[in-house]
Amino acid sequence: MSNETSPMDLNPSLGRRGLFRLGGLTAATVVIAAACSDVSHQLGNVGDASGTTPVLPDPVIDDGVLLRTMAGLETSIANAYQHMLDNGGLTKGSATFPNLGDQSELVTRFQAHHTAAAKAYNALVTKAGAEPWTCGNTRLDDTYLTPIFDRVEKVTPAAGNALEIPASDDIGRDYINLVHTLESLSAESAQALVPLVSEPAYRAAAMTVGATSARQAALVALRINPGGYAPVAAIPVVVETSTTAEATTTTAAPAADAAPPQTEIPLPLALPADFGLLSPITFIGGHGDENGVRLKLNFETPSLNMYAYPYIEACKA
Amino acid sequence: MDIDVNETGEHAPGTAAQRVGRRALLGAGFGGAALSLLPLLSGRASASTPPTADTAAGAPTTTAAPQRPTEEDVTLLGDAQRAELAAVTLFDQAIAMGGWSDVQLTVVSNLREAHNAYANALSGLLGRQAPGAASDAVVQLFTEGFNGASAGEMLDAAYELESALVATHTEILGSLVGTNAASLLASIQVNEARHGTVLADLNEKTDPADLLVDKEADSLVGKV
Repeated sequence: MSNETSPMDLNPSLGRRGLFRLGGLTAATVVIAAACSDVSHQLGNVGDASGTTPVLPDPVIDDGVLLRTMAGLETSIANAYQHMLDNGGLTKGSATFPNLGDQSELVTRFQAHHTAAAKAYNALVTKAGAEPWTCGNTRLDDTYLTPIFDRVEKVTPAAGNALEIPASDDIGRDYINLVHTLESLSAESAQALVPLVSEPAYRAAAMTVGATSARQAALVALRINPGGYAPVAAIPVVVETSTTAEATTTTAAPAADAAPPQTEIPLPLALPADFGLLSPITFIGGHGDENGVRLKLNFETPSLNMYAYPYIEACKA
Repeated sequence: MDIDVNETGEHAPGTAAQRVGRRALLGAGFGGAALSLLPLLSGRASASTPPTADTAAGAPTTTAAPQRPTEEDVTLLGDAQRAELAAVTLFDQAIAMGGWSDVQLTVVSNLREAHNAYANALSGLLGRQAPGAASDAVVQLFTEGFNGASAGEMLDAAYELESALVATHTEILGSLVGTNAASLLASIQVNEARHGTVLADLNEKTDPADLLVDKEADSLVGKV
């Protein structure tokens, strides 16, 4: 008997095949263990380890919220008019509308209406048991009015592949079109509020504001488009400025290096339909980009992303 | 070779088991139907659950107004329709008088059609309860102006009528309970407000006070 062990007595797992088997078994065990572990009820945590779940504020929509929103909208309009009046763009007239003249007096009158409307809405807000909203509507200001003023008044610098866009080719035209848009928005918003609020008195008050705004929209439409009372066969379109007038009045193909035509701007009408509209109001303005595309925004009546919810405290007088 | 015989009929060994299986299937069917309805039923139950102490203590809530017109609404809307039909009658009289320019005739005809559309829309809302007739009182009130000696006089009368209709509808809106009627009347009122500006412009008024109808006419409620 010998104490020596023959090579054949070595553990076979130490061989190549054994290592493969051991590795496979280990991997399979890990997979099974992972599959059987009960972690489905656990939420992954990234960052904050405080362990508390944030609670979003309740988005209450009641008469107070709706009326606060309207007060903010009217204040935004009044502020926008103040910006235009301070800028002086309304006094210069418009190359596109040579007969327009100075509209600053009319817009000052409109501004007084919207300031009074904001106060009237805030009086109803207080009556509804909510806190008055005394500044502009943040979404209307940030998403619509500020981008419009930036595009119309300033040079948009080149960014990425986009070329620089000059300031507006006709600031008077853009301002007066914006006035028409905002008057229409005020009227439509009052109309849209009617089925949302619960008290008939709120509806009547809103439509008193809406009627005046509608008249102001009609008057501005007639200043922009004299004789444009009601729709005819086709919607008239602004006569293009010198950049594109030649292209539209000649049958010759435009030169290869000619600037592309700028987006056409439809003329407003005093009576766009038989009934009050609730459709989006399109504003087109500013100078076109390298493709001739002007800024185009659709203004809509207030909705969920525009409401002045009770938990929003950005507007404290 | 063994031959297996499958017995059928009431003496077959599997008959009792088959009866039980059919009932079980029926039972399972009913059970499944009940289970499938459970989420729906529970959803309705939760929708009608009274507010908890937490929600009741929150911000003031708004009670939803009814959509359909109430009995009182029907009376008010009937008056609104009679006023609109009176406007149609008056515009018909004015158009028949003649003396209009092409533009004036186009606009005045457009306004006449608009008032007719408003009356039809109110008919659609009121159904068989719609009066469907013009208010004689309103026609009498404005008939002199609508039969004026000139287009300018008739436009002035139409301007007054439109302002009166705006005041009327605004007053009615302050009383309407049903939201369907309120929505319709608001869409009428806001456009009739525009009519006044259009008529003033058509009549070559230049004062913004006239164009924007600073002095609203009296409401026709109670006079229809």
